[in-house]
Amino acid sequence: MSQNHFRIALAGNANVGKSVIFNQLTGLHQHIGNWPGKTVEKAEGTLHFKGYTIDFIDLPGIYSLSTFSMEELVSREYIATEKPNLVINVVDASVLERNLFFTLQLLELESPLLVALNQIDMATKKGIVIDVEKAEKILGVPVVPTVAVSGKGVYRMLETAIEVIEKKRKTEPLKPRYGKEIEERIEDLTILLGKVELKYPARWVAIKLLEEDSEVEKEVRALSPEIVAAAERMRGELEQLHGHSCPTVVTCERYHVASMISEQIQTITEPLKTPLREKLHTATTHKIFGYPIMLATVLTVFIAIFSFGDFTSVLLGDTFFGLKPAFDSVLGTGIVGELVWGGVMEGIIGGVTIALPYILPFYFLLYIFEDSGYLSRIAFLMDNLMHKMGLHGKAFIPVMLSFGCNVPGCLGCRIMETPRERLLTAFVVTLVPCAATSVIILGLVGTYVGIGWALALYIINLIIIFVLGRIAFKALPGEPTELIMEMSDYRVPHIKTVAKQTWFRLREFIVMAFPLIIAGSFIIKVAEVANLLDPITNISSPVTVVWLGLPAVTGIALIFGVLRKELTLIMLATLFGTTNFALVMTPVQMVVFTLVVMLYIPCVATIGALVKEFGWKKALLITVSEILLALFVGGIAFRLLTII
Amino acid sequence: MDLPLTALKNGETGVITSTDLSLEEEQMCRHRAKKRWRKHLMTERCAKRLSDLGLTPGTKVTVVKSAPFHGPLEVTVRGSRLAIGRGMAGRILVDVER
Repeated sequence: MSQNHFRIALAGNANVGKSVIFNQLTGLHQHIGNWPGKTVEKAEGTLHFKGYTIDFIDLPGIYSLSTFSMEELVSREYIATEKPNLVINVVDASVLERNLFFTLQLLELESPLLVALNQIDMATKKGIVIDVEKAEKILGVPVVPTVAVSGKGVYRMLETAIEVIEKKRKTEPLKPRYGKEIEERIEDLTILLGKVELKYPARWVAIKLLEEDSEVEKEVRALSPEIVAAAERMRGELEQLHGHSCPTVVTCERYHVASMISEQIQTITEPLKTPLREKLHTATTHKIFGYPIMLATVLTVFIAIFSFGDFTSVLLGDTFFGLKPAFDSVLGTGIVGELVWGGVMEGIIGGVTIALPYILPFYFLLYIFEDSGYLSRIAFLMDNLMHKMGLHGKAFIPVMLSFGCNVPGCLGCRIMETPRERLLTAFVVTLVPCAATSVIILGLVGTYVGIGWALALYIINLIIIFVLGRIAFKALPGEPTELIMEMSDYRVPHIKTVAKQTWFRLREFIVMAFPLIIAGSFIIKVAEVANLLDPITNISSPVTVVWLGLPAVTGIALIFGVLRKELTLIMLATLFGTTNFALVMTPVQMVVFTLVVMLYIPCVATIGALVKEFGWKKALLITVSEILLALFVGGIAFRLLTII
Repeated sequence: MDLPLTALKNGETGVITSTDLSLEEEQMCRHRAKKRWRKHLMTERCAKRLSDLGLTPGTKVTVVKSAPFHGPLEVTVRGSRLAIGRGMAGRILVDVER
């Protein structure tokens, strides 16, 4: 790396405004991807500042550098092995003690450090005053107060960062000290570890061995099993002395240090009247009022998205199809023209009329809710219900997303802590009726059979989700994780950051879903041109006609539905040559058809999302089991409904 | 008096005495280990997460309220507000003056 080219990592707890700082620094020069081989997001960006080129990396928001989650592992691996020139620890000044606990761990990792004391305005509002000079003196590293949302202090933070990297500013990072009993053992272990080659600092490894860190233990065991044995013995001794498990003792003492420091550098005067954000918190988590507020909010969001989406979708669709004559005049109406228009263009149109009108506002509002802190309140209220399916409150968020579109739902499963829960949530999520499915439920059953039946279908769907969720929960080995989550204070979302997150998510959707939708459209168009649709109708008729009691042409409609579920309805209209479905289908057929569409397969974009997150095998497993489920439920419904 | 965190009334404060697994649970873990389930048990990791978030022995914790239908608990600890699942909260023992 050249002399003026640095790498700086941003690290800190969740909800401290880290991403906001990242956005302030890097603007549009960002790249969001995944850590190699992990489903943990990696955000990188570049800044040119005073002749320097600085690569920033936004590490995931974490509370500790242990092995609780993939995020924690990824972060500490990066800091220890990639050795960025500097780590900027973004700290929430209004929750100083807990944030310092993380700062201490960064100090233990012996990474060059700068502390950004963020949300200092919020701290002031909460009556917290922090002595920055004293903080610098105690921590031995520069401390810069910032207000990320307004950009205050960010410039100074950068200047200081460069001073530290270029060693124009002396730092004497604090070495957190533990109690005598622990400290003696850390020193003994450090001496032992001095004899082997490690990628981490020896003292840090010693501490981690006492914390029973499985990853570190594995690495050390490969080098010298005796050291691990010694650590094990020491842990036993400490447990005897303190009466708690050794990891708890270490954490406890580290917190003690954090607590001492925060006591020394901050003074708190409780504000006299309850601030608005506290009132808002009380109301939105209230045992009675919390639920109607949540329901009203979620419904408002959906109604807003759907009315906006319907309007824009039609508008966009019309505009695109208005281009067809011009298109035909160039490529002609021959086979090439038909393939290009019907296969490629209609795929693109289909993608655009979903992505822009629905997905875009959907993500935008979601991030507003997330950033403001409301999502964690919803998780708090819904925890119990989700527990019945072996999930916890956080899983409600991807499920809610899926009512809009299953793709963000699947991608949203990342917020779950363990792979097991991610998979379980993804399974539940793909069964949720998305916006397109709702179009069919309301457009077919709601219009021609009755709104009561449409509602009944939703309820049946929820019951199926619930039952299957429970079965999957019982079938998958492992223990359910419980909800442990911070509910950070309500705040006004930072629109620029929200907009950027929305854009990255939208781009992710486009990159993933569009090729699949286009390829799918093309294949089906080729099948149509090659006159393969009739044979397909015949092949599928034992299933559609005999088992499900549907008209034979529904076979084709269902195949088209794999691309996008609302295509089933459009295809049905085309194949029947009418949009008055009452003439061509009996009410029973409509209900059965809708039921099958609702359950039968995640659409191609969702399958893409599943593959991306879980790999081919699991995606295939979910897809196949849902096809079987749809046929099973559809067949039973057909028989039951005919009796009635 | 040592009580599980779930036994505290709204607004009550206690000092944590233990967040480790009880003997009974240890036996349960061993039983499950026999079933060849993953050795790395969630409960253990949850205990780690609790302490990482500041719920360590000797810490003051206040129960603000709990979500209805036996939902999670809202607690404040070290100046931050946390939601903790009821099962997990039941394993945190606190000393409370009554």
